[in-house]
Amino acid sequence: MSQLEHKTFDSKITRRDLIKVFGATAVAGTGIFGASSKAFAKDAQHVVVLGGGVGGSTFAKYLRFADPDVKITIIEQYPEYITCLRSNDVIVGMHTLDELTFNLDTIKSKYNVNVVIDKVIGADFDKKTVRTAKGESFSYDKLVVSPGIDFKFEDYEGYDAELAAGKFPHAYKAGPQTLELRRQLLAMPQGGTAIIAPPQNPFRCPPGPYERASFFAEYFKKHNPTAKLLVLDPKDRFTKDGPFKKAWERLYGYKTDNSLIDWVSGSDGGRVVALHAKEMVVETDGGDHKADVINIIPNQRAGKLAQELGLTNASGWCPIERNSMESSLHKEVYVLGDSSIADAMPKSGYSANSQAKVCARAVADSLKGQAPGVAIYSNVCYSLAGENYGVSIAAIYEVRDGLIQPKGKSAGVSPITDKAAQPILEAVYQKNWQREFVKDVFS
Amino acid sequence: MKLSYLFTPALAFALIQPAAADAQNPIASGAAMAWQCAPCHGTNGQEFLEAMPPLAGMPAEQFIKAMIAYREGTRPAIIMDRVARGFTDAEIEAMAYWFEKQPVKQWENTSLTESQNAQKSNSTGGQQ
Repeated sequence: MSQLEHKTFDSKITRRDLIKVFGATAVAGTGIFGASSKAFAKDAQHVVVLGGGVGGSTFAKYLRFADPDVKITIIEQYPEYITCLRSNDVIVGMHTLDELTFNLDTIKSKYNVNVVIDKVIGADFDKKTVRTAKGESFSYDKLVVSPGIDFKFEDYEGYDAELAAGKFPHAYKAGPQTLELRRQLLAMPQGGTAIIAPPQNPFRCPPGPYERASFFAEYFKKHNPTAKLLVLDPKDRFTKDGPFKKAWERLYGYKTDNSLIDWVSGSDGGRVVALHAKEMVVETDGGDHKADVINIIPNQRAGKLAQELGLTNASGWCPIERNSMESSLHKEVYVLGDSSIADAMPKSGYSANSQAKVCARAVADSLKGQAPGVAIYSNVCYSLAGENYGVSIAAIYEVRDGLIQPKGKSAGVSPITDKAAQPILEAVYQKNWQREFVKDVFS
Repeated sequence: MKLSYLFTPALAFALIQPAAADAQNPIASGAAMAWQCAPCHGTNGQEFLEAMPPLAGMPAEQFIKAMIAYREGTRPAIIMDRVARGFTDAEIEAMAYWFEKQPVKQWENTSLTESQNAQKSNSTGGQQ
């Protein structure tokens, strides 16, 4: 990668640069996609999946790989799904929400999966049925639940779901709040102040708040150079904090008098305890902060459906068997993704995809009366510290001593070197990864 | 560590069986591990349009050499060194033989039947 050594830390890479590094990629494949719809045997076993997001969609596709004959039904409340992953891009105009919007059409046609757009309102684990708002009932042999997250607004005096839907978006589920936060960033007065308040652990997408902070700073650098971002954190450490802070130093003057970002740790009083909406003030353990834009990303727990179905324990999350993702509380029910307690695995889209594949094999094995095989999980999180500056964390996981733990010496974050090629290429890979990942999930 | 034998595919294939069957130290199946590569390298390794190299149809020997070099730090890497350090020789081999069988074409142009037939076949070494 010597061709990249002249690059600076905020420079863009061209396709020509890439070809120099990797060689032109051979492009193959003009075959015709030909899925046929197939009738199921009357006595076919039935797997019902609640939630058609990353976990649910990946699960249905890969269960079809593992079992050509099982009947699969996904019940999803909304006809379209917007990925939370890369929604930070929308705030600064690097992606549109439309580009992050997917549906289950290919899952339905190519993998012969029934898709029902309806809201699940209850389940009977003894009779093995689920009920929907439209009055339908579905019998299952196995039930898979992938319900995402819910927010603990009660941890912040003066903040609630209504304020989040209005002037104080958390924008931590992609949608209208993402666009509102973008509007507010663009409308900030010159020299204004923005606040991002990340949640306490554990929460969805651990690098998400810090990538968002980086994007705010990059936006200020270009369009509002006297503005300032205050990150008010309840924690003393965060994921990839080494490479993130190094990037902030390189790109945004972090640790200088003119820094575009200030990060206040929990020990320094960073934890937010209240929002005073009328005054545009955030109250922390360390005092009050006034701002023009306030983005509190609330503490989290398992999605509402998981709570309603009784799949959560006192922690607010769903305990699972590590080799199958089967609920520890209810047999024949499996929990995927952010809602599950997966030990060392972060709550990421990649983790949900990984867990869905392990679960698909375990469900297929169980339907055949077999014990699940050896589970192997993985996670790679690419984040951007700037449009052309990537940082990553990666690990392969195994079940050891009853917990999901990094396997071998695989766990690691991006090395900090003086070579610009590392973060430039990680930014390229991040973009490649996003395009590929959604294909693995939805097509 | 004895690595030289790995570069003779026929011999390596013979050695994989006892490792996979070792009850003391069972490994995940080749498919189960290979599925974990899909978010970056495409479903069944069948992504030919991005910067990450396609794995479908890659000769097993090439896959094994690359993964071991990443793991041992003898091949420059951005992220694959961190990933490869999670796998033993036997696991790398199991993935290699699985990927070798996958069709050399984009996943979105591959039917389910075509994919299933490819997995039943012997290794073809699609990328000659």
